[in-house]
Amino acid sequence: MKLKTLLLSALTASALFAAGPVKLLNVSYDPTRELYQDINAAFAKQWKAKTGADVQISQSHGGSGKQARSVIDGLQADVVTLALAYDIDVLAEKAKLVPQNWQSRLPNNSTPYTSTIVFLVRKGNPKHIKDWEDLVKPGIGVITPNPKTSGGARWSYLAAWGYALKKNNGDESKAQDFVKRVYKNVPVLDSGARGSTTTFVQRGIGDVLLSWENEAYLALNQLGKDKFEIVTPSISVLAEPPVSIVDKVAAKHGTTEVATAYLKFLYSEEGQEIGAKNYYRPQSPQALAKYASQFPKITLFTIDDTFGGWQKTQKKHFEDGGVFDKIYTPGI
Amino acid sequence: MKVIEISAPALLVSLLLGVHPAQAQSADDKIQQLEQKVDELDQRLKVAERQKEIKAEEDADKAKNTATVTANGGPFTIRSGDGDFILRIGADFQIDNRTFPGVSLLPLTDQILVRRARPTIQGTVYKYVDFYVRPDFGQGQVVLYEAYAQLNYFSRFNLRVGKFKPPVGLERLQSDDDTTFVERGLPTLLVPSRDIGYQLSGDVIKKRVSYAVGVFNGVPDNSLSDASVTDHRDYAARIFLTPFQPDTKSPLRGLGVGIGATGGNVDGLTLPAYKTFGQNTFFTFASGVTSAGHRTRLAPQAYYYLGPFGILSEYTLSEEGFQKGTVRRDIALRSWQVAASYILTGEKKVFDTLVPRKAFNPKEHGWGAFELAVRVSDFSVEQGIYNYGFTTVATSPRRAHEWVGGGNWYLNRMLRISVDYANTNFEGGATVAAGGNRPSERVFINRFQVNF
Repeated sequence: MKLKTLLLSALTASALFAAGPVKLLNVSYDPTRELYQDINAAFAKQWKAKTGADVQISQSHGGSGKQARSVIDGLQADVVTLALAYDIDVLAEKAKLVPQNWQSRLPNNSTPYTSTIVFLVRKGNPKHIKDWEDLVKPGIGVITPNPKTSGGARWSYLAAWGYALKKNNGDESKAQDFVKRVYKNVPVLDSGARGSTTTFVQRGIGDVLLSWENEAYLALNQLGKDKFEIVTPSISVLAEPPVSIVDKVAAKHGTTEVATAYLKFLYSEEGQEIGAKNYYRPQSPQALAKYASQFPKITLFTIDDTFGGWQKTQKKHFEDGGVFDKIYTPGI
Repeated sequence: MKVIEISAPALLVSLLLGVHPAQAQSADDKIQQLEQKVDELDQRLKVAERQKEIKAEEDADKAKNTATVTANGGPFTIRSGDGDFILRIGADFQIDNRTFPGVSLLPLTDQILVRRARPTIQGTVYKYVDFYVRPDFGQGQVVLYEAYAQLNYFSRFNLRVGKFKPPVGLERLQSDDDTTFVERGLPTLLVPSRDIGYQLSGDVIKKRVSYAVGVFNGVPDNSLSDASVTDHRDYAARIFLTPFQPDTKSPLRGLGVGIGATGGNVDGLTLPAYKTFGQNTFFTFASGVTSAGHRTRLAPQAYYYLGPFGILSEYTLSEEGFQKGTVRRDIALRSWQVAASYILTGEKKVFDTLVPRKAFNPKEHGWGAFELAVRVSDFSVEQGIYNYGFTTVATSPRRAHEWVGGGNWYLNRMLRISVDYANTNFEGGATVAAGGNRPSERVFINRFQVNF
């Protein structure tokens, strides 16, 4: 009897020792590293104060489409914070990891912040790049990642397409020709936004980087305003990177509650301020007003209004054999 | 009127060299053209380098998702790119030649036999779950020896479920391929072989301490089964210390000391029979005797390895309740062994698999590794086992004392040839001629072993 008691005590003690902080994995797209480092620290502090429990959040970053495929293939994401809604749609469609109505569960179509696509050029703008039209000039090196793997690149592609559509009164063939000429000037296709930033900033390739607005400011602040400058085009796309809990994984890990709280934290005033400090355009009017000076005014169009939604856009432009496959040939 | 714009350097060149400004302008254009060409070439070079870099990143990424197959002296292995999924296929074949020299009053049979023929399928799924399946087709029977899964998520708390070796005897826990002698010492007779249950185990304090606790069905000594015949449970625990293990320079680095224990009810459990080195039964229980009450085992154990020298020792005490008719008593069975070995070719003796410095290949001056070893081992039972009729002096001796001398030739990591000579003396019964002891058993066993 004594031995039995001893063994049971040992097993119980082992189980207690095994308990540690709650762990979450946030699978995100390429340029959000700095944002979620700040968010994670703030949320962990808030969660500890609220519940007394520790939470440890890991981050995984890469091209948005590639990240979505990794989650489908088994990457144990408790939450996904991807570059565009389509990449979360596929989690619902292909792997049933999230419900079909995932986007209606959080405010603003589950988009806590927005962003847009701007141009990062070398200091002094030696090639005089001011708007989309300048990207198709001969000899201009345009740096942007592969839209088939990068969410940011899809936004850039569609921003260029949208510009051409509006300039040519909705003429699709002229828009396609314009985008084809833009990609003729793309010498290197990285798989993600961070890779393209490396290509442009560190490797010194190209004259203009089509960049997430936050990524452009990050490059400017980290690498020096004496080396680069940001050019805001006349028109661009309203990029809406959404977030979702990965229901099946979180349920399996027992992290549904903390994962939901984590995503709701993004909408809190503190979360919105952290977003704005990292150059994401906040949804909160207060935060937006506070940081208004750092976001230039720009005419923005949406995917829904201009292209009829992500499902249609993905199928037409980015599926295998789609428009992008037809128009892209390596340039320079 | 045509206006010619001319740069300051070109004007200077024209003044110094006394050339016409138009010619200087032409030089200026050429410089600009050359600069432009250099910039273009620079861009092309950078693009080529970056593409190479991206290709390398893509290849590395691809490698992460590409399975690899290896066959290099261990189990044949298929591994996923990220290492989260692994399948290993191995095997253990042991062909023994047993020769009992001289004339014996016992029916000892010289024979060549397949002692073990055990294919092994093991691996990992989803990074943290290991599995292991090992049947045996040796000696004309099919027996499932091991079948378990182990969750390794918490490095210090590994949960194993299935059929495996309970954490008790030291030499029993050593792999069948790695024992110094072809048969284990007598203390192994008193501990379970394999049992079905749950075990929590791990290494703590920088691997200085390893522990294991588990709950099992309970099996007779040195036995295994696939199902329980009673509704009782056997509890087992073991702690093993290697306090100097992390210090690579300490001469005590190879010292390990521990103790294993089991406890549980044995009502209705089948009674064991104990065998000699030559695998002949020398101890059986009387008919009508059953296990009854409690069984407790204690197994203090130690090893010490220093360079090519190794010594392994263990003691096992098993106190078990037996019943015949209305008489029920607890009887103690004891056994100990001391085994020492020395590797003549200088390889380090270890508890696990020995790998020769040079595999057998005379053309390359490789002869493998050679080892000499001796062992003394003893087994005894309490006198009460006869007094209460649980066995008789006619069938079972009170004591067996064994010594073994032998040598091993490790041709490579997978192939080993062993020759052992064992002498076992008996006292206190098992007479063939009334009033005497069971005749001593002398046996040569030569083993040819392949394992991977």
